[in-house]
Amino acid sequence: MAVIETKGLTYTYPSGTKRALEDVSITIERGEFVVLTGPSGCGKTTLCRCFNGLVPHFYGGKLEGNVLVTGLNVHEHSIYELARHVGLVFQNPENQLFALSVEKDVAFGLENLGVPRDEMKKRVDWALQTTDIEDLRERAPHELSGGQQQRVAIASVLAMQPNVMVLDEPTSFLDPLGAQRIFEVINELNKNLGITVVLVEHRLDLAARYADHVIIMDEGRVMLDGKPREIFGLEKTRLMGIGIPKSTRLYQVLEKSGVHLSKVPITSEEATQILKEVLNRD
Amino acid sequence: MSVFEGLRFRRVSSPIHRLDPRVKFFYVCVLFVITIMFGGTINNPELLPLIVLFFIQIPFVLAAGVKREWARSMRGAAFLVAFIFAFNFIFRYIYGNYESFALLLEYSFAMALRFLVLVESFSIFFLTTSPDHLGLALEQTHVPYEFCFAFTTAVRFVPVLAEEAQTIMDAQKARGLELERGNFIKRIKNYIPLLIPLIVNAIRRSLELAEAMESRAWGATEKRTNLYVLTLKNSDYILVVLSVLMLILAVYVRLLPPIPPLTVLLHI
Repeated sequence: MAVIETKGLTYTYPSGTKRALEDVSITIERGEFVVLTGPSGCGKTTLCRCFNGLVPHFYGGKLEGNVLVTGLNVHEHSIYELARHVGLVFQNPENQLFALSVEKDVAFGLENLGVPRDEMKKRVDWALQTTDIEDLRERAPHELSGGQQQRVAIASVLAMQPNVMVLDEPTSFLDPLGAQRIFEVINELNKNLGITVVLVEHRLDLAARYADHVIIMDEGRVMLDGKPREIFGLEKTRLMGIGIPKSTRLYQVLEKSGVHLSKVPITSEEATQILKEVLNRD
Repeated sequence: MSVFEGLRFRRVSSPIHRLDPRVKFFYVCVLFVITIMFGGTINNPELLPLIVLFFIQIPFVLAAGVKREWARSMRGAAFLVAFIFAFNFIFRYIYGNYESFALLLEYSFAMALRFLVLVESFSIFFLTTSPDHLGLALEQTHVPYEFCFAFTTAVRFVPVLAEEAQTIMDAQKARGLELERGNFIKRIKNYIPLLIPLIVNAIRRSLELAEAMESRAWGATEKRTNLYVLTLKNSDYILVVLSVLMLILAVYVRLLPPIPPLTVLLHI
């Protein structure tokens, strides 16, 4: 069943002259882990904003075409209605935490929804546990590292128990280890809780392994849409400036020089295994 | 950025910190009223009750464990205290209707001490009340949530903006900006290259914040709930009773014949 479905989505920001999105039609199934990528300024962020109604309700401008998110038409529902179903995590962790303690921040969305206190406490505890930041409960956001802040941001969205979680370059302010940890948390949410994940990411070396659906955008259009192995394996993907995983690149180089591997590797572990097979065969 | 240092909140726990901020504020107000009630006139200064008021607050400071911060705020007030003393002393001296020099000194001293007692009680309040608590108190006294939110968010972003100001300062210095050069006007002008990026960044930040707020269902219901709720505990009731008793006692003392000046009591 489709959780997010867009048809002929076209949008221009009120201040812009160029179309930020042009005829975007995608379908995201329930429980999928989607990686959305493309060069900077290609419309990824704008597309994310469509998923919870920030576009068009917050930004204004004219949105053409259809967006259905968990069965709700974005045109007809306000941001706070959509926020119950779609959680958005932003790039800069600092600017999405408002409260003076982690606990209070995680509760912020629930407070807005008017969830009773007992229920709220339970959900806050659960969200803190799931993202493994229980020990930070009392701390102030500015005392935390970027990676910790981003996990708090994820927890605060998680507490609202959304069906879909959209993360817009959540690791661009983090070091590789912090990024790795964030991806692991997101993956756990996807695999254990069945939350549909849309992850906008440039660091495909780290993120690609979790994906079961890849969408590549350029200049406001969807250029490629499909299974990770198929898409990363294409020469076209690399030429568009997408930083495909290094092991996939290795596959391409070997392919050109006449070495055929049995399948397209995404991670270095896979690449190692496939190469071993090839080497043993000869 | 030592200016911002003072605004940084530290999470400390003490019996005084745990008191309900509303009750603490009530106490401060009572103390304010009492302080205003005493002071006396030029020929009958009431230094004694002010000294008492100054010292009865010391146990609070000790119980809260904010001795150093408190001493710092007292030192901060020293200049104004000295000014008030000098102002009163000089003008009363020129005016010249005082009975004795000792009384003039005592009166000027009483006026200065009165100010110090006010600063003392307010500083105890702000030193022992976390902004978190203050925001919560505002919310529960039915101040519109938008204002409470603006307040706590402002406090939350003080360290962030201070850090940013430092970064901008470093960046501009690296490009050859000299902050400490020129006369007074020139020095103020030197800060413009810091202010503009700081303001632009703050606006950009506020947009991102608004986006994040919207995404977390801001404004979904009129009836917001709250993770924390302030409830009055026994210690809070004790402080309320104590404050009321103090007020009654002060009014009673006020109704009695005027308190003799220290100068007279000590036969100076």
